[in-house]
Amino acid sequence: MKKFDVLSTRLKIAKKKANKNYLNNDKENTSSLGAALKLSTEMVAAVFVGSIIGFILDNWFDSKPWLTIIFFFVGATAGILNVIRSAKLMQKNND
Amino acid sequence: MSTNPMHQFIVYRIGPEISLGNVDISFTNASLFMIISALAIISVFFVGTKRKTIVPTKIQLLTELSYTFVSKMISDTAGSKAKPYFPFIFSLFMFVLFCNMLGMLPYSFTVTSHIIVTFALAAVVFIGVTIIGFANHGVGYLKLFIPSGVPVVLLPLIVIIEIISYLARPVSLSVRLFANMMAGHTMLKVFGGFVISLGIIGGWLPLSFTVALIGLEVLIAFLQAYVFAILTCIYLNDALNLNH
Repeated sequence: MKKFDVLSTRLKIAKKKANKNYLNNDKENTSSLGAALKLSTEMVAAVFVGSIIGFILDNWFDSKPWLTIIFFFVGATAGILNVIRSAKLMQKNND
Repeated sequence: MSTNPMHQFIVYRIGPEISLGNVDISFTNASLFMIISALAIISVFFVGTKRKTIVPTKIQLLTELSYTFVSKMISDTAGSKAKPYFPFIFSLFMFVLFCNMLGMLPYSFTVTSHIIVTFALAAVVFIGVTIIGFANHGVGYLKLFIPSGVPVVLLPLIVIIEIISYLARPVSLSVRLFANMMAGHTMLKVFGGFVISLGIIGGWLPLSFTVALIGLEVLIAFLQAYVFAILTCIYLNDALNLNH
């Protein structure tokens, strides 16, 4: 009888551990890799779009290169904002 | 066989040259693989839903799992209002997934490693979401560009930043998929080339790397399709619920 009890307790602990490990692995591996891939392009895209808009506006107003420079920095700001936003979203999803 | 790692991305014509006005619309290997993936999706779902048993067969399980996966993803990120857009997001996810996975087969062509394909998909999402936003909220959708609690002095700058970050969405969506697929396939080809050039003695190390990288690439192929679909859901959520 005692042996049986010990076995069932051990089984319970092992099951708990296995379950925990499985959950952890699944979540951490895929979502952190996804996050890394996601955040990096977010920044680049905004800078790229900002610079393109600046370049087009420069051609319109004949003010090369000032608007390109200004919009490069505005684009970088937008990129940082995007990164912070998606990081916040990820944090919310993880909780 | 070419040793150039970029050789695998060349688009060539299959069959006769067809042109519409000045635009070349000939049938290429890219179009072939898009059709193959579309047919593969249709046949998998046709077979999977043909005989509905209570204890599902393997292929039925696959179709049911993919349905619940996407359906749960939509309800988690975009809420119940996004239910009508399920068919679109589901087809988008399956198409990107099948294109990525078919690209993993030897001698096949990866459609999603071309930026024009991914950008076209992202542009459809972007334009569609913008139309949905304006249709649901009218001019009020422009409130997306004005975050609450911003001092009036900073408003012009903030609006410009918000517009740029809105316009950056399709670019980041398309560049992410394209860059991941192209980089992964180039890397595989480079390591594969090392196996040949190092010969039978030294070639085992890059060969084992290639095997490991293929595992990683399959993971990335799935993950990128997932990220593409989930970002579409997030953008749809912005358009439907407008809670910035």
